[in-house]
Amino acid sequence: MEHGRDDALLSVRGVRKSFGPNEVLKGISLDVMPGEVCALIGGNGAGKSTLMKIIMGIYNPDAGEVLVCGKRVDAGRPRASLGHGIYMVPQEPMLFPNMTVRENVTMGFAAKKPVLDRELSRVMDEIGWGFDLERTASTLSVAEQGMVEILRGLMRHPKILILDEPTSALTFDEVSSLFSIIGRLRGTGIGIIYITHRMAEIFQISTSVAILRDGAVAMQGPIGSFTREDLVRALLPSDTKAGKCQAAGTSCDIDYGKPPVLELRNLSGYGFREINLKIWPGEIVGLAGVVGAGRTEMATTIFGRSKVLGGSVLLDGQDITGRRTRNIIAAGVNYVPEDRFRDGLFCMRDVEENTTSALLGEGALGAVFLDGGKAGLVTRRYVETFRTKVTGISQEVGGLSGGNQQKIVIARTFSTSPRVVILDEPTRGIDAAARGDVYAVLQQLRKTGVSILLISSDMEEIVELADRAVTMFRGRINAEFSKQEISQDNLMSAAFGMRSQKSSGEVQYTWVPSKSYSRHEA
Amino acid sequence: MGTLKKLLKARSLSSAVFLAALLLAVGAVNPSFLSPSNVSACFNTSVVYTLVAVGMAFTLLVGEIDVSVGANLGLVAAVVGTMLRDGQPLASACLVGILIGVVIGCINAWGVAVMGAPSLIFTLGANGVLRGIVYLYTNGAWVENLPKGFKDFSSVTAVGSLTVYFCAVFVLVLAIHLILTRTRHGRYFAAVGDNAQAATLVGLPTRRIKVLAYVLCGVLSALGGIIFCSRIGFVTPMSGNGYEMKAVAACVLGGISLLGGVGSVIGSAIGAVIMASISYLLVFMGFSSNYDNAITGVILIVIVVVDALLQHRTSKRNRRARLDARVSMGGDIR
Repeated sequence: MEHGRDDALLSVRGVRKSFGPNEVLKGISLDVMPGEVCALIGGNGAGKSTLMKIIMGIYNPDAGEVLVCGKRVDAGRPRASLGHGIYMVPQEPMLFPNMTVRENVTMGFAAKKPVLDRELSRVMDEIGWGFDLERTASTLSVAEQGMVEILRGLMRHPKILILDEPTSALTFDEVSSLFSIIGRLRGTGIGIIYITHRMAEIFQISTSVAILRDGAVAMQGPIGSFTREDLVRALLPSDTKAGKCQAAGTSCDIDYGKPPVLELRNLSGYGFREINLKIWPGEIVGLAGVVGAGRTEMATTIFGRSKVLGGSVLLDGQDITGRRTRNIIAAGVNYVPEDRFRDGLFCMRDVEENTTSALLGEGALGAVFLDGGKAGLVTRRYVETFRTKVTGISQEVGGLSGGNQQKIVIARTFSTSPRVVILDEPTRGIDAAARGDVYAVLQQLRKTGVSILLISSDMEEIVELADRAVTMFRGRINAEFSKQEISQDNLMSAAFGMRSQKSSGEVQYTWVPSKSYSRHEA
Repeated sequence: MGTLKKLLKARSLSSAVFLAALLLAVGAVNPSFLSPSNVSACFNTSVVYTLVAVGMAFTLLVGEIDVSVGANLGLVAAVVGTMLRDGQPLASACLVGILIGVVIGCINAWGVAVMGAPSLIFTLGANGVLRGIVYLYTNGAWVENLPKGFKDFSSVTAVGSLTVYFCAVFVLVLAIHLILTRTRHGRYFAAVGDNAQAATLVGLPTRRIKVLAYVLCGVLSALGGIIFCSRIGFVTPMSGNGYEMKAVAACVLGGISLLGGVGSVIGSAIGAVIMASISYLLVFMGFSSNYDNAITGVILIVIVVVDALLQHRTSKRNRRARLDARVSMGGDIR
């Protein structure tokens, strides 16, 4: 695509940005035309979020400029960017938790209240989302918060709308309604930058693609001129081979004659009811379901974070129901949380401290004084096997990309040699390469006899990894699949509460299998 | 129905109920307390606290704090008192006092909102510096012999036995409340305190709002200093000492969240009346006023702890209700 075209809605020209010695953006140029949906993809740390923050005026670029309709936007001033009609829906919803939905959406507008209210109900009618506008934002689910964010963006009649992984917290119905909104917005001539990690979505809604790799645009152009393989190749670092996809480890080495390592009997808690599930040693059990089906709640309840309302959890036949979290970890069950920023990481601490922090309680690094050499050894071993990209084991974790942070959280979990690990969305927000690494690590670990309960909304991930899969729907397990039965179609229809595979036509959003973008070397 | 529900939920109402219960309880112990003049005295003595507490409320609302309000008040009182004693006109003394408040607010705002220093520490330092300036300015001496008319004005009543000062402050608080809740820009304060990042993203001038909150806090404390002069009639170098704790306690009592974004100035004003009443009530309960500070501290701690517990419980209950709403009942899976 030619740069600096006069008719471009948004032009980014030669933008550079460094943080310290680290050059994050190395001269980015990008044009978005009216009615264009530009899918922006790139691995973690490729510079997507930095670029968006520059466009939004949150960061000041070291060089280059941002133009809207040919007019230069004052750098480093969010109000200037908003004034030019740029609006970003951030990936993590940023609402005012103590204000109502109405206030959240209308905050910052100059218009009078009745005008705003009329406009708001018009926009809501148009997109068909019903909200109780007087609800306080803190009572909304994550998906609902995301919807309020989008609503907030639409209220501004933006010229350029930036959507940063908008579907990561949405359910299927919501995704399809979002896509129809995007389609309608295109028609009105606004330009959209759509950041995503899901290949299927790119081909479904975007008109053009730009791939960022290591702070530079690796490839861009209209969507029609690329195949999925092209995109994967452009995404991956040039020295790795793409598309080397092998069937997941066979389940024949699991001895189902043995007693299960973890057994849930009629387990009930807040958000889920009467769960029966057995997990055998060395098995990866996939747990699929839509957002809000009660999967995370079940996992955190097993882990002792919430109250058990009924039933029991047995580990090797021993009842561990309702124990405190530290005792459950000691017994051999561990949990890797979904939200690594809030629940998983000590962001201000370095890689070493984060990796080995779970060992502190056991005294494995020394009862009183810590054995620094041993901690370093453990950390380095995990950094190596997980291929975590760090400048050194004393790097602060807060500055790492999402994929690398996740690897550290997983490393910490496994450093305690658990019997059963519950992984909650282990690859959410992680790029294809890092995803492949995580899969390889999981395959390695299960060979050592560790059992994994894999909670994932990425059906492909479950197909790839799981020896057995169950789905949860509205707080209950509604289907179970053996290795042979697991397919994206089966999982998806069960996750939506439809047991018969034939009826999957009722789902408006058609799922395009996108198996090719995960990489395997295990 | 909706308004009734809102009213019941409003924290300022529960603090008003607490105030009424407090007055009635003291009346039960010592019936001689329940005379109009005694009850209105509780309100009349509260004006200085109210001004400082409302100023504090602004900084708490935007998610910061200003603990320099006591020294601010002391400095303004000392300067205004000295000017009046030396025969300067009232108008110019008040003008200088308010200007001092503006300058102090600007300095705090610069440190906190512009340089990004932690507000508790920065304003604690400012408190020390200002208190030091009071000593230097007064040479450690008391400012006495203020004009009689200025002192006597503090006891002029407007409505019943309520003073002009009380009525003026009452109207001022009401006006501030309406501005904060009913106007677009007024809501910005709570928005910035609720989630500063979100405020930036929707284009609110986050920094400017924080600066404004500090300047208003400085001005309100300065007004408090001027009225302090008039009501007390003399100024010591320690005047206003400890007012920051009273103000924070008043705000918290009135339902203003220390985390920012929640609360109303009406609540903080009612809290200020409660704070002012305590030392007055102690006398009627037969206690020495030496208990005053300790009681204020205990109230502050009790409220903060109870609040934390309540908040924890509500959020837990909300979460559970939300989760259970999703669970299908029985075997009605399609």
